[in-house]
Amino acid sequence: MVYDLRHADVRVKWLVTCLLATFGIAYGFGGWMVGLYAGFTPKSVATTYGEAEMAMHMPPESTVVVQHPVTIGEMAEEDHHTVDLNLLVQDTHVHVPMYGVIAAALSVVVLGLALSSKAALALVTLLFAAPWLDFAGMWLTKLASPGFAVVTLAGGWAMGVGYLVVTVVALWQMWGRAKGGAV
Amino acid sequence: MIEFVVATVTAALLHITPTVVLVKRPDAVRTLLPEAEQFVAGELHLSDADAHRLHEAVDWSPEDGVVVFYTGKQGDRVVGALLFVRVDTPHGPVEVAVGFEPGGSVAGVVVTKATVETRPWIVEALRAGLTEGYRGLKPGDTAAGAAALKEKMASLPDYMAAQVDKGVARALAAYGAFYNHVRA
Repeated sequence: MVYDLRHADVRVKWLVTCLLATFGIAYGFGGWMVGLYAGFTPKSVATTYGEAEMAMHMPPESTVVVQHPVTIGEMAEEDHHTVDLNLLVQDTHVHVPMYGVIAAALSVVVLGLALSSKAALALVTLLFAAPWLDFAGMWLTKLASPGFAVVTLAGGWAMGVGYLVVTVVALWQMWGRAKGGAV
Repeated sequence: MIEFVVATVTAALLHITPTVVLVKRPDAVRTLLPEAEQFVAGELHLSDADAHRLHEAVDWSPEDGVVVFYTGKQGDRVVGALLFVRVDTPHGPVEVAVGFEPGGSVAGVVVTKATVETRPWIVEALRAGLTEGYRGLKPGDTAAGAAALKEKMASLPDYMAAQVDKGVARALAAYGAFYNHVRA
């Protein structure tokens, strides 16, 4: 343990608590936003990040009509928010540094927890690997196959899990009654 | 690669803001074709000649050369048709849904999408009664909502009204030239 949050000054504990609460609000709204724009299923994530068909458009010799029945719901599907290559470049540029800062801040909290070296290493790895997975999934979905949407979903859930583990353990160790040894 | 760089730089220079949905497509369909119980999508894959004709007439090249008409039916009876038309502006895209009565006149127009930036201008134009002026127009008529409301609106709402005019003009041109292909 680099420092010990259990025995830290109450002002440090309060700072960490406020930081975790702020991240919690941000993650809550992040989840809401994902629900609005990308969804939580592999299909909806693939629709959001998948590349439109790259088939070369060859105009027919004479105008051709293709007719098929549709439902109102199918017309709505065309409204699905999509992220094209340019927007994904912009998203990556904006989000990845911020994810790094968040992972670093949570990792600093981890360093003050009474955890074994292995557990702390695993948690720090999870905190950084989750956003890597998130964006790797988006890029692979766009460039390789829609099947990689599950990687983005896994990254998103891993971010949530990492945050929850750090928050629960930190709050318990800082404010709970137990003052035991390393986990 | 050059196209990618140009597109990125252009987007940055034009500071296009995110698209916002003003009216969801299903709600627009219910508004424009209230009697419809079933729908048929008619995708027209335009030939080079037809695509060129459309471009010459209304300065429009539909994405991938495809125009989609949605025909609303009640049983076997056609109750109308509509199409969604996108107009690209320096401030981002605007999408309008234009509904047609079975006789071929405009039943109504709904602006379905704008951008964060253009939304207030569009809303002001709509409040001034922009879409009311389109009812009854037929292919060959001129969509002139912006000109009719020029005195009532500031310059930016008027500019966006002109973009909606452009969308309606494109729908009228496409309907007049091609809807018979779908109906046949």
